[in-house]
Amino acid sequence: MSIRRWFIELLDTPTTPSRRAFLRGSAAVGAAAALPSTASATIPKRRRHWGMVIDLDRCSACNACGVACRQENNIPSYDADPEMHGARPEWMSMLWQEPERANASPELLPMPCMHCADPPCVKVCPVGATYKDPDGITMQVWDRCIGCRYCMVACPYSRRSFNWKEPAWSSSELQMLNPDVATRPLGVVEKCTFCHHRVQRLREEAALAGREPTDAELQRLPACATACPAQAITFGDLDDDDSEVAKLASGTRAFRLLEHLGTEPSVYYLKKDRG
Amino acid sequence: MTRRIYALTRARSRPSALPAGSVGWSVLVALALGLIALGAYAYSVQYREGYIVTNLRNPGRGGAAWGLYIAMDVYFVGVSFAGITVASIARLFQLRVLEPVTRLAELLTIAALVAGAIVVIADLGRPGHGLLELPLLARPSSPFFGTFTLVVAGYLFSSMVAFFLTGRRDAATMIARGPSKLRWFYRAWASGYRFTPTEHARHGRTTFWLAITILPLLVVAHSTLGFIFGIQAGRPGWYSALQAPGFLVLAGASGTGMLILAAVIMRRMLRLKAAIPDSAIHWLGGFLWVLSLVYLYFTVVEELTATYAGPHMDRHVAHEIVTGAYSASFWVAVSCLFLAFLIPFLQYLRRRPSVTGIAIAGALVNVGALVKRLLIVVPSQTHGSFLAIEKGVYSPSWIEWSIMAAAASVVLLILLVFARIFPITHGHEDELTRDTPLPRDPLRKVIAIVWALIALVLVIVGLTDSFRLWSGDELDPRIPFAPVIFAAGVMMLFTTAVIYELLPSRRVRKRSARIVDLARTKIPPPRLALATPLRATERRPLPTPRSKP
Repeated sequence: MSIRRWFIELLDTPTTPSRRAFLRGSAAVGAAAALPSTASATIPKRRRHWGMVIDLDRCSACNACGVACRQENNIPSYDADPEMHGARPEWMSMLWQEPERANASPELLPMPCMHCADPPCVKVCPVGATYKDPDGITMQVWDRCIGCRYCMVACPYSRRSFNWKEPAWSSSELQMLNPDVATRPLGVVEKCTFCHHRVQRLREEAALAGREPTDAELQRLPACATACPAQAITFGDLDDDDSEVAKLASGTRAFRLLEHLGTEPSVYYLKKDRG
Repeated sequence: MTRRIYALTRARSRPSALPAGSVGWSVLVALALGLIALGAYAYSVQYREGYIVTNLRNPGRGGAAWGLYIAMDVYFVGVSFAGITVASIARLFQLRVLEPVTRLAELLTIAALVAGAIVVIADLGRPGHGLLELPLLARPSSPFFGTFTLVVAGYLFSSMVAFFLTGRRDAATMIARGPSKLRWFYRAWASGYRFTPTEHARHGRTTFWLAITILPLLVVAHSTLGFIFGIQAGRPGWYSALQAPGFLVLAGASGTGMLILAAVIMRRMLRLKAAIPDSAIHWLGGFLWVLSLVYLYFTVVEELTATYAGPHMDRHVAHEIVTGAYSASFWVAVSCLFLAFLIPFLQYLRRRPSVTGIAIAGALVNVGALVKRLLIVVPSQTHGSFLAIEKGVYSPSWIEWSIMAAAASVVLLILLVFARIFPITHGHEDELTRDTPLPRDPLRKVIAIVWALIALVLVIVGLTDSFRLWSGDELDPRIPFAPVIFAAGVMMLFTTAVIYELLPSRRVRKRSARIVDLARTKIPPPRLALATPLRATERRPLPTPRSKP
């Protein structure tokens, strides 16, 4: 067991759901000891199914979500570099579909990771560097990734990016890096995490106050949803029938991408006339 | 008797006595070393600057994440197929005609697997983490598990065990020939082989059981390679039940082709015409046309299924391959495979097989297989994305070509060096059967069975824990290095053969009796075929026999 611990420390990986929960609990206890607060850590954690709804009738394809995502998650832009064509990491980006294939899916849509309930990428990872969070988020452990890129070819949505070179930022960009999100080294695969760090922080803050996060707090939580000027992106708990996201997802306008593959995405799109 | 022993040792001089004039060998070794150096430099560039120096890119956004490296890996593992299959078939069905090429076949397997491992390392984004984490926590639910554990642990290791055991006899003969700089090597290899009928009979048994264990392992290992692609529902063009059997058959075709090439080149270079007779090559030619034909049939089935009324994207990928962006490569591959079928087949029909014709077919099938491997890996990524932001292109960069050439050179180098220090064909020996009576030796049997049972326990424990069956809701195996336990179990299972053969008998004879024993057993002197020393003896006057002591 000790060897295993040693390797876990070495690889610096979030290990198990139970251990993560324990760490979260202890962090909350530590904070609770500092603040004169009640026994907040004892609140049982509700199991969630985080999901997202993107309203294409509202979306104007301004790509503010993509820019905000870059900013939030420390994704280098490499805009001027022609060498990086096809090698730019993209977590949230606009999918263009050629007009003649308009019957297959809408012409233009913002695509984050679909956080499938049955993700092909998780199945194929040889080392378990990607896994399903108990709350439905498909997580990627950068530091455990060996860079075989199997998940990239397995993802039918092409929502995974490889670090083809050591990420580089200009000095002004360096000062704007988000301390909540780790930067990724050369040779690992990265992907959208539904702004997992924001969800965690909100949960901890709520736990200190002795409650669960409310739906209103969650709706615009991820960076893309915060930035969307048309408020087309809604985030929340799909299992909670009262949440905005569950209501929208069960509406008649809702559909998911590539449903025939059986991946059960957690991202829903809304469009009035899909024809 | 001394005369007899002398006749044996005189027949060939010391194997380390290299003829001065073998320019071809030196040139080839220099070429291989040069290419390996180039590959090492290319890899250093890739390691330093990142994978941006390759032409691989994100799939769905204008590229392919897998390219030449994965195709080459699959190709090399495919080449390794033939070696061990041919050796196993020869032993299972007592095909004496194949015996001259079995050692070369096993050597090719080992060399190709080493090259495959090199290419996998070159492909990994973080090789250091890969080497640390795969043994620590590899997951069998990923088809890569088979490549990383079964292929290396089972396949490579079992080939080496078979190679070691069948080589002991010739290693002992090399010692008997007289002093050599490599005596330590031959002694280690022979590990006390004494030319007794008992050892021979025991070897007959172990080779039979090794062959029968290796064959299913081989099918599983190659199928896992096919499954890497075949079970990806998200990639039109890959998702097909035909992938696994297709991989197996193409592996067989390319491997047989490579074995034919190696055998023909070796026998010309080392003047081994007598040792590797035409009949062996002809048999392999027959095997080659059958496999090529089956693979052509698979190709027709595959393209027809995809294009007739297939789903939109499958049809799109198939059209791109057959008539679109990849049509040139596709038709090159198909023509090569067709010629590899046609040439040996016509010769077979006319009952006039020619070694040259079969060698050409062997070369063509390898070109065809290599291109076909690329056509399996690449088009489904560049043109098979359901939701592509842009269409992709991929052609390997010089870095990738260099690393590939280096890996191929490693195969060449292993073959060349080995041919220099050890006979590439078996010396003559009596037929190996598993029915030859053996003296009672219950202890040996019990030890071997217990050893194999321990190995099986390790396999089961390692595999179930790698599957996280005991981990509850934890993500990692309960026992550290569970995949290593599994792999070690597989390896241990194969070492049972070594234990069974090498365990000393109760009546251990004195070492000095070895050569006398060789003469006493009345086995005809081994017709060792090692060309370089043969040529050396042609030039040198033979040493005069010493007088009787």
